[in-house]
Amino acid sequence: MLEIANLSVSYGGLRALTDVTLSVKEGQFVTVVGPNGAGKSTLFKTISGIVPAVGGRITFMGQDLFGLPPARRAHLGIAHVPEGRQVFKTLTVRENLEMGAYPKAGQDAWHHTLDRIHTLFPILAERATQLAGTLSGGEQQMVAIGRGLACAPRLLMLDEPSMGLAPAVADTIFERVSQIHKEDGVTILLVEQRVAEALELSDHGYVLETGRMVLDGPYEALLRDDRVRKSYLGLS
Amino acid sequence: MATPASKPRPFGSAGSLADPVGLSPGPTRDMDERQREAAQTGRRPGGIGNQVDLEILIENVLNALAAGITIGCIYGLMCIGLGLIFGIMRIVNFAQGEFLMLGMFSSLYLVTGGGILAFLGPYIGPFVGALLAGPIVFAGGALVHKLLIARVSGLRTTGSLDEGHFGQLVVTLGISLILQNGGLILFGSTPQTVRTPLASSAIEIGPIYGDATVFLNKARLIACAIAIVVAVALYLLLEYTRMGKSLRAAADNPTAATYMGIDTDKTYRFAFALGSGITAVAGGLMAVYLSFGPFVGLDYVIIMYSGVVLGGMGSILGAFWGGLTVGFVQQCSALVLPPQLQNAAIFVVFLMIVLLRPQGLFGRSAERA
Repeated sequence: MLEIANLSVSYGGLRALTDVTLSVKEGQFVTVVGPNGAGKSTLFKTISGIVPAVGGRITFMGQDLFGLPPARRAHLGIAHVPEGRQVFKTLTVRENLEMGAYPKAGQDAWHHTLDRIHTLFPILAERATQLAGTLSGGEQQMVAIGRGLACAPRLLMLDEPSMGLAPAVADTIFERVSQIHKEDGVTILLVEQRVAEALELSDHGYVLETGRMVLDGPYEALLRDDRVRKSYLGLS
Repeated sequence: MATPASKPRPFGSAGSLADPVGLSPGPTRDMDERQREAAQTGRRPGGIGNQVDLEILIENVLNALAAGITIGCIYGLMCIGLGLIFGIMRIVNFAQGEFLMLGMFSSLYLVTGGGILAFLGPYIGPFVGALLAGPIVFAGGALVHKLLIARVSGLRTTGSLDEGHFGQLVVTLGISLILQNGGLILFGSTPQTVRTPLASSAIEIGPIYGDATVFLNKARLIACAIAIVVAVALYLLLEYTRMGKSLRAAADNPTAATYMGIDTDKTYRFAFALGSGITAVAGGLMAVYLSFGPFVGLDYVIIMYSGVVLGGMGSILGAFWGGLTVGFVQQCSALVLPPQLQNAAIFVVFLMIVLLRPQGLFGRSAERA
């Protein structure tokens, strides 16, 4: 579904990604883990077109993404839930979700997806008319994920959804993401610093360090890898 | 004492402009006349004099209130235009006053002399002209945005040190100077006005108390009504349509809006053009009661910024109320201050409100405390 081949990205004169290759197949749950500054968010921004690539190619459903302006990519069914939530603070919760449903697929499925979003996150129904900027961090993350779901996506990209959240809230978020994957059949690409939880959910994992993919494999293989156990899971 | 409905006198330059037609709302008797009248009818001057003083005071206050509200609504519409560009899109635009000026001249050339709307006559023509000035300046605004403003705003400057404001300041100041001086070459320096007989007739309400009567200038009253209708339509467009919501989303967070599939560049262009067009409509409406030249924008750009900041950045309704407040203060200050100080009064009230309520009258804080 999403194929990234030999991608290189420079960011402000610095090489942020070098020769990154990654593949997400339909229905998969893929996680990218790695320390701060490894280039995980840059990878997402390049997929969404906010950051230009220097080399390599990205194709989604067989279509070359570099030929498309950034705003068109959401219309293909790629939903990007950005790092730090980035909700529309001056819009109400409901308006945030409506903006998520901006692409045609989202509009067609609006009533169905809105019900689904409210089932997953009942608090969003309660807060529908409240400005998103006045919500707590966890609620804003729910708005961000709901907004991503509203476009009826084929691929949901989540950039550190647990960042800055209390552990209990983060657990809820992970649970919902897993539900979205299993019950709605949405393909998921997740970037996460909470490595243990993230890998546990996923079919396939990638380890990104200083802009390079150093390791990849199915969940079980990664868990057995010594480097992953030491550096990310704190096990010996 | 200044008559209540005396012409709204903008900064310095207004003095050099010819007096516009029919600004006087109708006959207002002055003190001497009334006292003479009292003396002739043989009544006791003392008590009656106080009574007449009171009537004159009431008449002046009521007329100032009426003029403040009618002119304020037109200022409100003018401020909504800038509110879109500056308050919502956060683009610093010094050329907004020139868009107002272009609105006035567009309307003038449409309806007077050999203008294509001349057939509508002096009663309907000026107001249709004002409305049509909107689309004309809208097109101009879209072009200016495409060629110049887009390079210093939007996604291109998001996250940069100054969010593009320095570039916008220089670019729009340049546009402003070019339009002012280009206007001088094209339109000449003779003060103009869009003449309508309605500007010299008034609706009389009253007498309300004794002989105190409120005079409502017909041209201004119609202009005020049109301003309110346009403002309400714009508010509904921004608040409830998909277009309006995507515009607010793009202004709020252009990067996230792009993730949603919103073409922010196009959205910004529409907003900039719309803001220009709305201010131009207000300009066209003001042209029926005001004399103007190519430099008229200078007088109003500061009023517009005060209105927008006063109402609260980012709020369309706020910009309207801000403009209304400015117009109201300007007119009412005429009761106690010489006309030269009318604009000083605006800024004193402006500073007081900003001191007491820094987020503006209608600004709402969307950040969690």
